[in-house]
Amino acid sequence: MMSTDRLIEQLAANLEPVEPLRAPGRRAAAFMLGATLYVALLTLAIARPGATSRGVDPAVLVPQLVALVASLLAVRAAFASVVPGHDRSALIWAAIGVVAWVGALAVSAFGSDASAEHEAVLGARHELWCVALILAGGAPLVVALAAMLRHGAPLRPITTATLGAVAIGSLANVAACFWTPHADRISAFFWHGGAIVALVLVCAAGAPFVLSWRAARRRAAGLARTSNGAV
Amino acid sequence: MAATDPPIDALGALMRAAQRGDAAAYTELLKSITPRIRRVVLRERAFAGLAEVDDLVQDVLLSVHTARATYDAERPFEPWVLAIVRNRLADGARRYARTAAREVNWDHEDDVTFGAAETNEETAEIGDARALRAAVRALPDGQREAIELLKLEELSLKDASAVSGTSVGALKVATHRALRALRRTLATKR
Repeated sequence: MMSTDRLIEQLAANLEPVEPLRAPGRRAAAFMLGATLYVALLTLAIARPGATSRGVDPAVLVPQLVALVASLLAVRAAFASVVPGHDRSALIWAAIGVVAWVGALAVSAFGSDASAEHEAVLGARHELWCVALILAGGAPLVVALAAMLRHGAPLRPITTATLGAVAIGSLANVAACFWTPHADRISAFFWHGGAIVALVLVCAAGAPFVLSWRAARRRAAGLARTSNGAV
Repeated sequence: MAATDPPIDALGALMRAAQRGDAAAYTELLKSITPRIRRVVLRERAFAGLAEVDDLVQDVLLSVHTARATYDAERPFEPWVLAIVRNRLADGARRYARTAAREVNWDHEDDVTFGAAETNEETAEIGDARALRAAVRALPDGQREAIELLKLEELSLKDASAVSGTSVGALKVATHRALRALRRTLATKR
């Protein structure tokens, strides 16, 4: 085994300047700007006739606005979770945001007369497209967010991935809610919710492989090699 | 904190300098935090052997090196480094638990013998150590470093890659070439 003094010498000898990461709030804002633009373009690209008129319905609009806020808070918490020693208030705010978002969706789905004409939950065929939209439409955002998170320290990979997946799921859900009229909000609640849960589970399962110290060290060594010009 | 330790803010300043690429500041920083890390490790792993403590300390230092871009100069240094120490200790404990669950202790090594006589010898012939040292010194820099890190200091490929700033693939190639060169050199001297 190498002595600790020798290790320190080696680390110092191979030291390269690094750009300190920006604050989690600023990184979250940058990600949300790009992600919101992407979701807006995706929604416009696939929107069906009559879908845009749903935007003026408060029962649809309010949960989506809450979803954007919840997404911002969750993604900020995800970025904070890869900074050692960062306080945990970001996590609490993210939890509050997610609870508010799920509450707003539940009120929209089960409140007032929304459930009066709902079909059987499993019979809503167009919801399969919504599931595909959340999973496939969210995939590029997952890749982009993972690339940004890998610049941090992989302290709690599963927590970080769960927060990121919730943020992306809530954003992709906005597109899923707007692209086509949904006659039955209860069906939409369960199908969309199921898709988001699936997204979270997949991301949490893959997190230990993507956000690991081994991957971070490999990446750091790769950057040092690039700046050294060595092969 | 011991009386000889530099104040925490000074460590933050050293890390800021290290982020700019100041190797001397980085050496001073790592040498300053190593005793603190060792104290935390010893406190948390009171029954660990010396080698295990060293392993954990070095793992923390490698993680500090990997995550140095996440240090924010606006924030205190100590919580940052302690969060890394706690994380690596928790990972180390999980690793240890997994290994312990798979391993069976065997205290009767002397009972194990093999058919071929030479496999039961306690020491193997190592040849001319002086010639070997000279041959290693004569290797090109990259190959010599690979041999030193992987074969003499017995680092894993992952750790050697982090220490040398060379990819795992390049290390493997350098080691292969170095071994071939050493074999050639030593063969001609026999």
